[in-house]
Amino acid sequence: MEFVISHLVKSYGSKQVLKDCDFVFGEGRIYGLLGRNGSGKTTFFNCINSDIDINSGEFYFRSGNDAQDKVSVLPEDIGYVVSTPTVPEFMTGREFLKFFIEVHEDITPDKTIDEYFDYMMIPEDDRDRLLKDYSHGTKNKMQMLVNIIAKPRLMLLDEPLTSLDVIVAEEMKNVIRRQKEGRITIFSTHLLDVAVDLCDEIVLLNHGRLEPIDKNNLGDNDFKEKIIAALRDEEDA
Amino acid sequence: MLKEFRKTLAKVLHLRSIIGYNSLVYALKKTPLIGKILPDRLYSTTFLKVIYWIFHVIREVFALFFSKMAGLGSVYLASLSITMLYGSVKMLGGMSKQYAFGMFALLFFLIYAFLGIVLNTKIFEKTTEKDYLVFMIRMNAKKLNMTLFGYDLFRMFLGYLLTGLIPALLGVPVWCWLGIPVLAVFIKLFAAGFLAFRYKLKSRRHKPLHGTPAGDMLKVFLICLPIPLVFFMVVGGYYVPVKYLFMISAAMILAGIWGLFELVTSGHNLHRKALHDGVIIERETVRAEKARVKSFKRIKVNGTVKGNKKGFEFLNALFVKRHFKMLMLKPIVCTGLILALIAFIIGGVIYDYYTTAGYEGCLKMVLTNLRNLFLFKGFEDPLGQNEVDSAFLFFRYAVQDHLLAFFIPISIFDNTYKSTQAMYINCDNSLMTFSFFKKPDKIIKLFDIRLKQLICVNLLPAMAMAIGCNLILFATGGQEYPFHYLINFVVIGCMSISFTMYWLSIYYLFQPYTKTASVKGGAYNAAFMAFGFLMSIIAWISVKSQILAVIMLVFTVTFVFFIRKLVLKKAPKTWRVKG
Repeated sequence: MEFVISHLVKSYGSKQVLKDCDFVFGEGRIYGLLGRNGSGKTTFFNCINSDIDINSGEFYFRSGNDAQDKVSVLPEDIGYVVSTPTVPEFMTGREFLKFFIEVHEDITPDKTIDEYFDYMMIPEDDRDRLLKDYSHGTKNKMQMLVNIIAKPRLMLLDEPLTSLDVIVAEEMKNVIRRQKEGRITIFSTHLLDVAVDLCDEIVLLNHGRLEPIDKNNLGDNDFKEKIIAALRDEEDA
Repeated sequence: MLKEFRKTLAKVLHLRSIIGYNSLVYALKKTPLIGKILPDRLYSTTFLKVIYWIFHVIREVFALFFSKMAGLGSVYLASLSITMLYGSVKMLGGMSKQYAFGMFALLFFLIYAFLGIVLNTKIFEKTTEKDYLVFMIRMNAKKLNMTLFGYDLFRMFLGYLLTGLIPALLGVPVWCWLGIPVLAVFIKLFAAGFLAFRYKLKSRRHKPLHGTPAGDMLKVFLICLPIPLVFFMVVGGYYVPVKYLFMISAAMILAGIWGLFELVTSGHNLHRKALHDGVIIERETVRAEKARVKSFKRIKVNGTVKGNKKGFEFLNALFVKRHFKMLMLKPIVCTGLILALIAFIIGGVIYDYYTTAGYEGCLKMVLTNLRNLFLFKGFEDPLGQNEVDSAFLFFRYAVQDHLLAFFIPISIFDNTYKSTQAMYINCDNSLMTFSFFKKPDKIIKLFDIRLKQLICVNLLPAMAMAIGCNLILFATGGQEYPFHYLINFVVIGCMSISFTMYWLSIYYLFQPYTKTASVKGGAYNAAFMAFGFLMSIIAWISVKSQILAVIMLVFTVTFVFFIRKLVLKKAPKTWRVKG
């Protein structure tokens, strides 16, 4: 399975944020989406998640190599984890999971609620507390967990490790690695080290276009320098 | 110094014009329909900026003439009226009319200036341009405040002087038409200096400079103070002799000189601090927003939902359980008040009957009418001692022909707006980031559950009102036609349902709330205003209740049907977190 972006354009007034974007994302891989501030990473995710309308272009799934075999992207195909975790604060963690599993009638959970909590390393005494009293990191884990339960084909992670402490960030990275099989994961971040460490491929969102960066047997440091050079504007030079 | 003043003023006026122009373009671009066709280059179109600048200058001049001249003009008009009044009853005591006018004008001006001191001393008030200039461009706060204050003083002096030209031409003494503008300047200096002095003291004691509720109460008291004084003066035919007014004026001039000294000696840091945490309007708004969000977040785990509710039913039941007070308090209190009023009136009638007809007669009346009520008849007076008066007949007419007017109390008792705010803040705002929540079938499922729940809640006060309507009918001769009582329940119920449906649907169709539960969005505001306008027309239409029942039933069913379709179609796109 592949996720194809074709001639995607998004403008705000006369400002074109995404200019004729083309890219093919493959299954089982984590793509690190890097871009400068205001380059349009969140806009790109919001377009894919249908939170905002696109001006033109399309995106779809494609199985195999048949270019004509387009499968529409449905809301349930997407999991979206945002940097500022948003969870219904009036529910407890357990109630939220119960509700989430119940409304996803098409999903057969492979674990019990407590097993899911264990999988995400959410402490027992947190499970029956209101989500509004959860720490930032635990809210983030909850958000990630429900997206894991929903088993989406495409996982969009918008700076999910921002402002997490090192332990939780490491736990989250391991979860993302374990979950990559059978789905496409696009991970946006500002942290170059995290992107190079976690992702299988690096994609730049630069001047409104998606560009892959080939590692070409480069060491991590050389690869990072190559990325920085690609992101640097002519004016910065 | 004058050069410095001019330079600073030019900067402020230029910035004010830029802010004004950009805000106008921004507002236009956010307006539905127009906004989409307006290009971004409007922000940088020099020609339009020049036109705006011309309008800006005209507005400044208008502000000068209308605000300053209207204020003092009112003082002069009031003085003229009192002079004429006193003259007509020969209470001027040998004074010429011009002299008396000057005397009253000076007195009323002092009262007016006193109110100005309390309400309108804005030297330290933060505005958008001050915010940019002081906190971003790091301009000297004292220099900026003093420049703007000086500019305001000049505008005020000029405006007052121009207003005084007519009294001057009519022979009013010079101490009135010229003295008042000069006095105004000193009073303004005193007010500003006093504020600087107060801030200096507060600052020394490390206290925040912004106002307190006690201070606001004191302001209200001070504002109300002159009303009885003027009233007793006019009713008693008294006046304050000019020499006393002169003494007060002289004191105010001295106070003004002190104020000027306080202002001049106040440091830059005091001005900056005052702008930072003093009388800051935006900060008050932010504080209010925070308090509002906090009020929505007061939730505790109070057990969970019992029974076998699942999915969205479970979500809604849990939401209602954890927000019971927020969702139910207003409808329950309103229902309670209506029922208490009804009980009070019925109690009064029974007591009145008891005092005149005794226990036996009263019991007979109560039992007879209980029977009549169950048989759908009208009130019966077994002793024939009560007559239906015209006030009751007016209410009967209202219930028979003007049930549409009940939209007004229904709108007041309806709690859908606050409920949707709570839904957004504590539930939807977070779940909207999950794709399943935006699927049409899920949206409409939750919409239906919420609609049912809100209808039930809002029907409580509506039904209490219908009971009241039927009791009016009962007391004034009973039903006009069979099933009249029942029809009143149907009409008022349908109105309440339509109202709830409207508020819930515009939340789904326009989702106007920000994360602080403020409303943002022209379309929502337009829908809000259009509905208010429509209601204000409909409420006056006279329709017989039986016809209205048919109309309301058909309307409600059609409305619910089509709005549900609209929500199903549009909400997956419109019901989202505002950026």
